[in-house]
Amino acid sequence: MKRVRALPVVPERFPAGFRTMLRDLLARGPKLRTGRTEQRRAQSRALAQSGTFVGHRPYVCGDDLRRIDWAACARTGELFVKLLEEEDRRTLTILLDLSASLLAGTPPRRLAALRLAAVLGGLALRRLDGLTIVAPGAGRAEAATFAGAGDLDELLRHLDALPVADVAPDAAIATFARRGVAGRIHWISDFAEPRAFEVPLAALRRRGADVVGWLPTMPEDHGAPRRGYVEVIDPENGASLAVPVDDELAAAMQRELELLARRQARLFAQTGCPLVRWASPEATDFRAAVWQDAIGWGLR
Amino acid sequence: MTWAEPSRLLWLLALPIVYWLLLPPPPRELRWTPHLAQWQAALGSLRRRPPRRVGLRVVLLLLAAAATVVAFAGPVLVGRPGPSRLVVLFDASASTGARTASGAPAFEVASSLVRDRLAALPPHVEVTLLRCGGPILRRHGASAKTMQDFGAPAGTLGADLVALAASIDGRDDTVVWTVTDGQGQVRLPDAGALSCIPAPGPNAAIVAVRVVDRWPLPTLSLAVDLVAFADGPLAGIVRATGAVAAPVERAVSLPNGAVTTLEFDVERRAEGGGIDVRVAASGDVLPGDDAWIADLPPLPAPRIGVLSDEENGPFVQAAAQALAEEVAGSVVRARAGESVGMLVVDGGAAPIEPGRVRAVCFGTRHDAAAPLGDALEPRVVDWDRDHPLSVGLDLSELRVASALPAALPRGEPFLWAEGSGGERLPLAVVVGDERTASVHFAFRLADSNLPLLPAFPQLLRRAFVRAYGTGAALAVRSPAAAAGEQDLRSPLPAADRALPPFGTPERSLAQAFVLAGLVLLALRAFVR
Repeated sequence: MKRVRALPVVPERFPAGFRTMLRDLLARGPKLRTGRTEQRRAQSRALAQSGTFVGHRPYVCGDDLRRIDWAACARTGELFVKLLEEEDRRTLTILLDLSASLLAGTPPRRLAALRLAAVLGGLALRRLDGLTIVAPGAGRAEAATFAGAGDLDELLRHLDALPVADVAPDAAIATFARRGVAGRIHWISDFAEPRAFEVPLAALRRRGADVVGWLPTMPEDHGAPRRGYVEVIDPENGASLAVPVDDELAAAMQRELELLARRQARLFAQTGCPLVRWASPEATDFRAAVWQDAIGWGLR
Repeated sequence: MTWAEPSRLLWLLALPIVYWLLLPPPPRELRWTPHLAQWQAALGSLRRRPPRRVGLRVVLLLLAAAATVVAFAGPVLVGRPGPSRLVVLFDASASTGARTASGAPAFEVASSLVRDRLAALPPHVEVTLLRCGGPILRRHGASAKTMQDFGAPAGTLGADLVALAASIDGRDDTVVWTVTDGQGQVRLPDAGALSCIPAPGPNAAIVAVRVVDRWPLPTLSLAVDLVAFADGPLAGIVRATGAVAAPVERAVSLPNGAVTTLEFDVERRAEGGGIDVRVAASGDVLPGDDAWIADLPPLPAPRIGVLSDEENGPFVQAAAQALAEEVAGSVVRARAGESVGMLVVDGGAAPIEPGRVRAVCFGTRHDAAAPLGDALEPRVVDWDRDHPLSVGLDLSELRVASALPAALPRGEPFLWAEGSGGERLPLAVVVGDERTASVHFAFRLADSNLPLLPAFPQLLRRAFVRAYGTGAALAVRSPAAAAGEQDLRSPLPAADRALPPFGTPERSLAQAFVLAGLVLLALRAFVR
């Protein structure tokens, strides 16, 4: 008889400490650890306004002052922000893996994934014209679009409400087939089974998408416990294995994890996309320096 | 289902404790991981099997233990009540040899019926087969079901089937089954099952044959008693064939129920052989009682040898001549190397070993060195009226002038004299066995008036026959006629009664539970 176990509980995703750190981070602006030339190029790319004018929307606190249409303000006496048609470099798409396998880890990998999406999304709202969150398996919330810095709270609520959904990576292809690819895609997942990601990743590349893979890593991704009698459970299907671990098995597990890492790297290398292995911070670690890599990749 | 030792089921209470003791320790740490495939690959690279499904193995082990405990408690499947033993009273009297309407003898029909029924019985039923009629035979078990060495129809129905069936049926889970032809009985059994196989019809039979054997002469006088049971007089033919010089055939008319005696003589062949006297009548359904068969010994060609001194007078010669005439032989002089069939010795001493030589000795000493003893002047006082040599003979006129009883060998006396002290002294004895014998008298012929007695030739002839023993006897091979087995016209009417259903025995289920336990253990060996 198979024993049913409750899935791990994800701690509070966006506590006050994280929100404070996020707002400070976005308000302070990125501190790129790159050279002067690259820094200037990145700033100009982020600050440049281009695209086709499609309309106005009322100004909300936090919007970039440079995007206010002063002429419209003079005519109406109210502040309006120009809306430009989304173009690749003016928008950003975050593809979130909602599978239960991200519930593994301490804290769960899903916590780091959601917070990473919040940082990347907040940066996009602050700096770019729009943001799309694609979460296959989330039903009506499968794809959501946000624009402007004022949508930050809405973004966090949206991320917080996303359910756990076990869908194959192929499901992302159908979503992008309906909506089209908008801007760079940041694919946040554990890529636990690299072979399953080959087809959708190649399909996205064929559509011309620029994909960045984000793999929040945990200590379990780098090695097994050295000794002990451990029951390991797969959150996706509940399959379990009671394993008495000794040095020999720990070494073999180490080799298997390294092999997995190589396969994940080869997966992205074959498609010419970067894979960012980003060490997941502790659940209560709200230091801004932890998110520098994310900010850096988000501004590229 | 019931239990032989239900208290042993209490051992089942130990199984939960065993289960608890067999439970493996739980893992000390629980980890959610997306790398289950990597764990399995790591185990596979080390050629380690994933841990067994301990729970299923324990359950199988406990089930095997439970099956063993149940077997230990002796589970028994309750049987169906009913008889478990069968006694078959089989009428095999001579009348069952009669032919039925189908042409087969009633005995064969009944035997086939019994074999078929017994073969179809459940194996747990104990079967006893009793042959009633002729020799009493009892067969049990497998030999009863095959009717092994059960013989042929013969004899009379000596058992009271009614009383026998009533005494057996219903006792100790026993049911009785009577198989009979309904002949020679007042009524048929009321108890138990009954199968009646009648074979009615007319019957002619040889009831008895009286034989006057004139051995060693070839003439044989036969008196054949015949009886017939039919609706009217039965015409028949009696034939005497076999070891006879000329077969005899006589036509007879046999009245119903009355004995008819047919007397005739036959000349037997010198080489001997079987003689068959048979009656043949139309419509006779029982051939078993139609014949009288006997074996005739070969006739001797006696040469009577005489051994005597001159002084003993002519008596021994006259006696030998009389014997030769009686047995159609010849008298020869006894010499060394001469082959004789009978030796007649009178007086003197002759080295004849008593009982080993066919001889009649009168006052002859067999051991010349032995003391003679006193010569008596005895008075014959008695002879054995039942002895084969002296039965029917009148020896009251016998006078003996002188005798030597001490010269007689040890043997069977049949003639006595009174001694001087009033004691009985043997005057004649027979020495020998069933095949060879010699007759010894204590006096010479010249010292008595025995040769002058009318009984003398008969005594010599009987001595001759006795000297040959059983070699001269006629052997009847056909069984004696069974009284009451000849009238086959009206068997008792009866309706067959079937055997009741037999019970089923209790069956132990212990072996089945032990087997189930072994199967569970074998299955457990394949569970990983």
